[in-house]
Amino acid sequence: MVPLLDRPLVQFGLALAAVLVLPLVMRSGTLASEILIYGLAVAACNLLLGYTGLLSFGQGIFFGLGSYVAGLGLVRAGLPAPVMLLLSLALGALVAAAVGWVSIRRQGVYFVMLTLAFSQMFYFLAYTFSGLTGGDNGLLDIPRPRLAGTVLADPWTYYAFVAVLFLGLFAALQRVALSTFGRTLLAIRDNEGRAGAIGYPVRAFKVAAFAISGAVTAFAGALHAMLIGVAPLSNIDYHTSETLLIMTIIGGSANLFASLLGAGAYLLAADALSAIWPRWLLLLGLLLIVITLFLQRGLWGLIEHAVALVTRAPPVDDPAPDRPVVTAPEVAPAPEALPGAETGRAPEVAR
Amino acid sequence: MRDRRAFLKTSLTAAALGASGLPVSGVLRGAHAAEGPLVIGAPLPISGAFAANGKYASLGAAFAAQEAGKVLGRTVTVADIDTEGKPAPAARKVQEAMAQGTRLFAGGILSSEALVMGKEAAKSDGVFITTAGADEITGSDCNRSTFRWTVPTFGAIAQTVRPLIAQMPNAKRWYTITPQYVFGEGLLSAAKAVFQEKGIEHVGNSYHSLAEKEFSGYLTNAIAAKPDVLLLLNFGSQSSDALRQAVSFGLKKRMTIVLAWASGLEQFEALGADLCEGVYFGAQYWHGIDSPLNKALVAKVRETARMTPNYSFAGSYQITKLLLDAAAKAGSADGPAVIKALEGMRYAGLTGEEEIRAADHQVIKDYYLLKGKAKSAMKDKDDFADVIQSGKSFLSPEAAGCKMA
Repeated sequence: MVPLLDRPLVQFGLALAAVLVLPLVMRSGTLASEILIYGLAVAACNLLLGYTGLLSFGQGIFFGLGSYVAGLGLVRAGLPAPVMLLLSLALGALVAAAVGWVSIRRQGVYFVMLTLAFSQMFYFLAYTFSGLTGGDNGLLDIPRPRLAGTVLADPWTYYAFVAVLFLGLFAALQRVALSTFGRTLLAIRDNEGRAGAIGYPVRAFKVAAFAISGAVTAFAGALHAMLIGVAPLSNIDYHTSETLLIMTIIGGSANLFASLLGAGAYLLAADALSAIWPRWLLLLGLLLIVITLFLQRGLWGLIEHAVALVTRAPPVDDPAPDRPVVTAPEVAPAPEALPGAETGRAPEVAR
Repeated sequence: MRDRRAFLKTSLTAAALGASGLPVSGVLRGAHAAEGPLVIGAPLPISGAFAANGKYASLGAAFAAQEAGKVLGRTVTVADIDTEGKPAPAARKVQEAMAQGTRLFAGGILSSEALVMGKEAAKSDGVFITTAGADEITGSDCNRSTFRWTVPTFGAIAQTVRPLIAQMPNAKRWYTITPQYVFGEGLLSAAKAVFQEKGIEHVGNSYHSLAEKEFSGYLTNAIAAKPDVLLLLNFGSQSSDALRQAVSFGLKKRMTIVLAWASGLEQFEALGADLCEGVYFGAQYWHGIDSPLNKALVAKVRETARMTPNYSFAGSYQITKLLLDAAAKAGSADGPAVIKALEGMRYAGLTGEEEIRAADHQVIKDYYLLKGKAKSAMKDKDDFADVIQSGKSFLSPEAAGCKMA
């Protein structure tokens, strides 16, 4: 039976509650919008890491690409924002499919290195074609979208715009995760050899996961560029990939709402800590070490423990089959998974 | 830190109302801001790779605020805004500060963050004055709200390369090492124009990336080209690394080394006197400048803070002071009034007589050519260099590409 907190309606309800609560508790509409935007990008990262077991350093490529596509369309071509958002979605999917198609040809550390190499390649492309991207100065003067003839200049109005899109995409990602496709991704993550032996086209599934993840990440990148009025070079830097991965791990890869939790916790902590201590990244590093050592289910795991304490039900320590979690990502396959992959024999799934 | 807390405290009410999303909050925010302290936002890289510059700049801004005490009957406070040295947090945090009623900003050390913050300020009638280097700030991306104190690349080259050509008529072969980004390209094209005009042979150029730390390959190329002068067009730690490696390669004995855009006293302290001896440095500011305001600042800072103001400190002090002086002159801290007061303002600045050009909001000030002196010749621990030349060189606003909207 699916635990209460993991039920799709509860998950969507939590996302909706977060969207409604943020304006009540936060002083900055811009920061609140950024949380939702990064929440989307982290959920997309989670689809690869938590659901498919792919530790990709390429997410920054799609985030930056989305920013540049939106910027170029809005600034240079004067196209309407909805068109640019759809275009960023499509181009994100296309580029991610290409990056994924090449990267998934290798496993483990080689897969990670390939995504890292792509990340560097796209960064230097953006850096080199400064006439198009603005180089290190960034692509400036990106306008906020217009809705019914009104520019969404006010931070909270733009937040409302982002919130609607966030909820729509969150629901769409949930549909993907709950579909046969999503379940197959979990099967591939848990035992690629067995999934292949059953007859699933594993590579096609992985490429599709990349494409969906890239599309949503690029969409988030486009929203981000419209939020801050610039597509900075740093959006396509591998540090962005790293940040998205850190957010995913902080939140926990158990479900999609955990991704919003990770993005929110990271951005709020960064905002608060940077005001206290210039070397706040050190504290963030410590937080990451603590989470990696003792809280492998991230902040979501903490919530589960808290709920278990209240309801006196045992907390979920081991991942259930339909609950994604990073147990054997590409970077470090579980020892028992390797012989299966090599011999074609489906090994027992460690649970 | 205390300033930021104070800032947060004073703007708490407005923020809470803003968070509620009520339309009335805008009115109340404005009313609250008018009655409270006069807040100058200082968006600086307080964390991240440029935290050291941010720290001194924050001290400089706070010093200017403390010195001013009250302006327009309101206590002046500085709210540090940590840009993390990146344009995205910079834009977001300036948006937040503006939503809370702050309209006057002095900061932005890095070009990429300064450009976006200037754009943000322009959206809500704010004023942003910066010490960042990119020509576009008062060139193709100029706007009504943005002002810049630092001399652009054209002036930096004119005040370093030209006097050295005049001083060394036999040095006909120059080699350049350039970071391949907008700032470096600006310096290089300005240098090439001077070379062409003066009949100098540009014997070669090496481009390096934004993240380069190893310059030996470029230096080997430079040696092979047998130049009389090596002109380094990079900035910050990259220029320090390039200079260190050039000296260890023995280039100082073979040719004259010029660093066109040094980052001031902090760079000399990092490099040490032995390395800097005989090397020429271009600088926006030097504590040894003979001007009344600079002498007063150096004396006061040495007395109260037991340090000598470096470029980050002094630049931030000057731009914060400019905003406060303009607000006092305008009789208002509203953005448009302060902009009007700043345009065309002539004043006794740190570099002597300075003027804010109304057409592109560029401060017309001196740029300095320094020569590193021997350790034995230093009068005190900060006396690393002599000012051997200074002057004002600027493109016209039209030539700089500024079309003020």
